[in-house]
Amino acid sequence: MKPILQLFGLAHKFRGLSVLQGVNLEVHSKEITGLIGPNGAGKSTLFNVVSGFLLPQQGKILYEGTDITGWSVTQRSRAGLLRTFQTPQVFAQMTVQENLMAAGWLSTSSGFLNDMFSLPSARSDILKITERAEEVAERFELDSVWNIRAGDLPAGRQRLVELARATVGSPSLLCLDEPSSGLNPEEVDALRRALERLTETGISILLVSHDMELMAVASRVHVLCFGEIIASGNFTSVKENPRVREAYLGV
Amino acid sequence: MAVKPLLIGFSAITAVVVWAVIPLIASRSSVDLLVFTALYSIAGIGVSFLLGQCGIVSLAQSVFYGIGAYATAYGCVHLGWPAPISMALGMLISAIIAWTIAWPILRLSGFFLALATLALAIIGQTLFVEWDWITGGTLGTGGIPKLDFFGWVLSTPQRFYYVIWPVLGVILWMHYSLLNSRHGFAMRAMRDAPDAALTLGIPVHALKVRVFVLSAVLGAFAGSLFAHYVTFVSVDSFGVSRGINFLLIAVLGGAQTIIGTVFGALFVTLLPNALSKFGDIHALLFALLLVATVIYLPLGFAGALKQLLLKAIKSGNASDSGQRVEHKSKSGNTL
Amino acid sequence: MASGTLLLQSVLTGLTNGFVYALIGLGISVVFRGTKIINAMQGEFALVAGLVAYLALRTFEVPLVLSFLLGIVAGGLVGWFMEAFFISPARLRGATDDTFLLVTLGVAFAISAAVLYFFGRDNIPMPGLGGNGSLDIFDAAIRIHSVWLIVISISVVTLLMLFYHRTHLGLSMMAVSIDADGASMTGISVPRMRLLTFLLGGAVGGLAGVLVAPLITVHYEMGLLLTLKGFAAAILGGLLNPSGAVIGGVVLGLIESIAVVTISSGYKDVISMTTLIIIMILMPNGILGRGGRRGG
Repeated sequence: MKPILQLFGLAHKFRGLSVLQGVNLEVHSKEITGLIGPNGAGKSTLFNVVSGFLLPQQGKILYEGTDITGWSVTQRSRAGLLRTFQTPQVFAQMTVQENLMAAGWLSTSSGFLNDMFSLPSARSDILKITERAEEVAERFELDSVWNIRAGDLPAGRQRLVELARATVGSPSLLCLDEPSSGLNPEEVDALRRALERLTETGISILLVSHDMELMAVASRVHVLCFGEIIASGNFTSVKENPRVREAYLGV
Repeated sequence: MAVKPLLIGFSAITAVVVWAVIPLIASRSSVDLLVFTALYSIAGIGVSFLLGQCGIVSLAQSVFYGIGAYATAYGCVHLGWPAPISMALGMLISAIIAWTIAWPILRLSGFFLALATLALAIIGQTLFVEWDWITGGTLGTGGIPKLDFFGWVLSTPQRFYYVIWPVLGVILWMHYSLLNSRHGFAMRAMRDAPDAALTLGIPVHALKVRVFVLSAVLGAFAGSLFAHYVTFVSVDSFGVSRGINFLLIAVLGGAQTIIGTVFGALFVTLLPNALSKFGDIHALLFALLLVATVIYLPLGFAGALKQLLLKAIKSGNASDSGQRVEHKSKSGNTL
Repeated sequence: MASGTLLLQSVLTGLTNGFVYALIGLGISVVFRGTKIINAMQGEFALVAGLVAYLALRTFEVPLVLSFLLGIVAGGLVGWFMEAFFISPARLRGATDDTFLLVTLGVAFAISAAVLYFFGRDNIPMPGLGGNGSLDIFDAAIRIHSVWLIVISISVVTLLMLFYHRTHLGLSMMAVSIDADGASMTGISVPRMRLLTFLLGGAVGGLAGVLVAPLITVHYEMGLLLTLKGFAAAILGGLLNPSGAVIGGVVLGLIESIAVVTISSGYKDVISMTTLIIIMILMPNGILGRGGRRGG
């Protein structure tokens, strides 16, 4: 399988401190790739670089074969590279339905003036995004909270909304930032299942977390420590890797 | 609940009838106040939209209001152009200026941005005085022709009233349409979580610029209508205090509702009149009212009213549906 | 064309104005350090103080220096009032940065409107320290009062630096804005520190007011402009760095006065306001570097 995302020699320093040192990584299509590491390993930085929120000082990112290193966040989104956030960033004052509808932006194109005059293209766009929102809500079992303000939902549900919202535009690569933080074990299970279902629909996933158990769902796991990849492989081999244990347990 | 749309329809018709009848029974000065209400509403909607949809506090509306007024005054009085062309010129100039400043300024956040708009208001105010060859400076420009539609001249408050309120209605409808379109969703997304909005492909910065330009065009439009109504304009109408008035209208009305702006404008127009015997005290009261509303009624009067109505409807509905539906207040960007 | 003397004169004026802006900027810095709020009514402290000093002097015939002191006290009291009756209630109701902005702006306009209502549009004159005397530097002259202004400003800045970094009270006041819960757990009274911060900010603003009043006269619109210029000074120096406001203020004052003699006096405010905007866009962390809020 050709990799959908390739990272070459990514390096970044903050105030003289090396946060990433020559990171090389591949994410394969329609698979879940995990990136794990203790706190302070540089996961957030790497994540921000991949998603376009930070420009790396060195290195290259190839997405579906194209160099996207300098691309903006919206450019990446348009190309199908989406991310979620460590603290779920739902649109708090909007209902779940509206959250999902907002994600319809990229698949519609009615212009500003069109929208102001409620021209046919504007109205058909709304129909389209409503339909799609309903579809996604059903898939993620969000119908019961359809009309509730996203900000009023418990954290686990908010995560689900954020995830559902990210899939509305049929992304190719979904980057998830600590998706299990704040979830109870049941919810983590549900999350794992949801992620597996997603790859079945053809979405590739890059999963970044410090939660070892969540990684069981990944086909391949990379371990980041002090800005470097210290181990790669399948879940079991990584889990039993002595260097990894050292990094995690400080032994 | 079939009662609800019936109720709304009934109230709407009553409102329109009342509106149409007012100039026939009210005094000239009352009608005059209502004309100003509509004028200020148009400018106020611009500020309200920026505040409610983008979270931007703008005190610069007075500048565009002034540009609209002076452009049409200069065009009609000095260049002899017909009113629509001068008005269009004012809106074009405002749009260009707004577009140019918006790009760098809208990158600023919160305080910085608001103070930048205040700085702009001061710059505008000063230039209106300094560039007296265009504006007439402190002496003002007079002799601005009244608007006429193929012979029907808007020479009385009543006539202006019957034109400007429908115009306001159209503008309100346009904003309502915008809010219920993909742009509306994008704007609210941008207001609630700008980074997440970016990841959905929403061009946050470009959208803010667009809304700012729209707001400026509205301000200029209102300003030129104002000029043709009062036929004489001077710098006093386009200073920082005017900018504060517009902001107050947006805050009082509740920036998240569109129609609230009209109530805000009504209040701001009627209050100075009611207090006229106390001299110029309304400026002080407005400022205090701004503070009080911001602290105690963050959703503005219209917003608070709407919350009350929704609660009333909810408690009325509670026994109705068999399914347990948790009906929290919606994000309220419909009327 | 600006001759040498004219240039020198404008430098002296710019320097003097600069220190006024620095003091306002200092006040903004003080309030920011203590509460993380940017006080949009800082300039109104100056206005109120100037008025109180004027009333004390003219109506009650209080000696000049005492009038000035009363003005400063008035400034402090307004600050205290602000925190107690406006900021605190707002905070209790879950205020965001926008709320504080609108509240402080609203109060600024209210004070300005009140002054307009009670005192009219007149420019209210104040005598200065050292009367009308002035020092001659080459061919240019600087009022004795201006010299006092500069000296006092520098002393106050130094004192404040020492206060914040060396005294327990100063450190406590800063701690409250960095971590209110942590501070209260160590026994610091958070509400009291906030009151003190505004009191101090008000007093510093008041000081600026009584010092600048003899130079430009007191009038109802002076607050807003001072606030904006002080803000420019504060940003230029870095919001968390009070001594930076001095550099910022002086730079701004010089830019303004040199522009006035080279372009035109009517454009004075246009120039300072444009400078403010440029500073906010290009140097939100000040020329001294980082250490402010993410304003840019």
